[in-house]
Amino acid sequence: MRFKIYRFDPDRHTKPEWQDYELRLEASDRMVLDALERLRAQDDSIAFRRSCREGVCGSDAMNINGRNALACITRLAGLSEPVTLAPLPSFPVIRDLIVDMTQFFAHYHAIKPYVMNDEPPPERERLQSPEERERLNGLYECILCACCTSFCPPSWWHPGKFLGPAALLQAQRFIVDSRDRGASQRLEFLDDVYKLYRCRTIMNCAEVCPKGLNPAQAIERIKIELLRRSA
Amino acid sequence: MRIFAGQRAFVLQRISALVLLACGTAIALRLAIGPQVTFAQWRTWVAQPLAASVLLLVAGALFIHAWVGIRDVVLDYVRPLALRLTVMTILAAGLSVLAAWTGFIVVTHAL
Repeated sequence: MRFKIYRFDPDRHTKPEWQDYELRLEASDRMVLDALERLRAQDDSIAFRRSCREGVCGSDAMNINGRNALACITRLAGLSEPVTLAPLPSFPVIRDLIVDMTQFFAHYHAIKPYVMNDEPPPERERLQSPEERERLNGLYECILCACCTSFCPPSWWHPGKFLGPAALLQAQRFIVDSRDRGASQRLEFLDDVYKLYRCRTIMNCAEVCPKGLNPAQAIERIKIELLRRSA
Repeated sequence: MRIFAGQRAFVLQRISALVLLACGTAIALRLAIGPQVTFAQWRTWVAQPLAASVLLLVAGALFIHAWVGIRDVVLDYVRPLALRLTVMTILAAGLSVLAAWTGFIVVTHAL
């Protein structure tokens, strides 16, 4: 199978370049990550992140044939050749397929991704009813791989100002959490032309989310909640 | 007042879109189904206070919708701050003049 990989080493290159590879796949090579591991055995200078290799950690998010995905759960079968592997678009490249996630996590931290509740804690835990727990479905599953944010045009246009689909999905996850008491504070923070309202509902986020989530819908629900509270 | 407030623009854009949709549909239906309207009939219709009010409402919705829409495009694509402010000032001034002119024409005709 033929591969075309984005290569950039700031110590050796002034500009990034594409490098071609040819690989004889083994029967056990099912996913793009399997091929990458085998390619690294050929050329140990290829740099990429990986960890769980089962779509849980989000480390190996990259652009595969023009579409953001996790290498560990993207099947090799069906990919057109040469398979192009590039770092997540719009993120600063550290080396090869490794990108700098500093801005991404700064946005994530800005939405205060934890339950805010100053009420005295109960003896054991803050309980939720099944219905209250149900509201977190479709939100809590985000693994922060950044596939969505990196594929979102408003995030390309305003990387430092628009929080991006991942952070906003997480914001909604805490706004609807029955144990959280900070919804008003969160919504007040989000009511900003850049942080929230740059979303143009392009839906790239939902299109590429490896967990099948819909950040655009979460963003719309934040807007509706803001509207409901201000009515 | 926050000029770039998020929710205000979001709400104004949607309310103005609803006004334009309703009036646009009514005008399209009238033109498609009703008898042909002459210029004299149109002037007579606009001279009625209720019709003039509706026309002013539609024109207001149109200018607000245009402002929010073009402002969004400028925010997304015009990156240098000085250029952005210049474009938005020209845009706001142009739309204000057009709105004032529209209002002047409709009101003076109706009076």
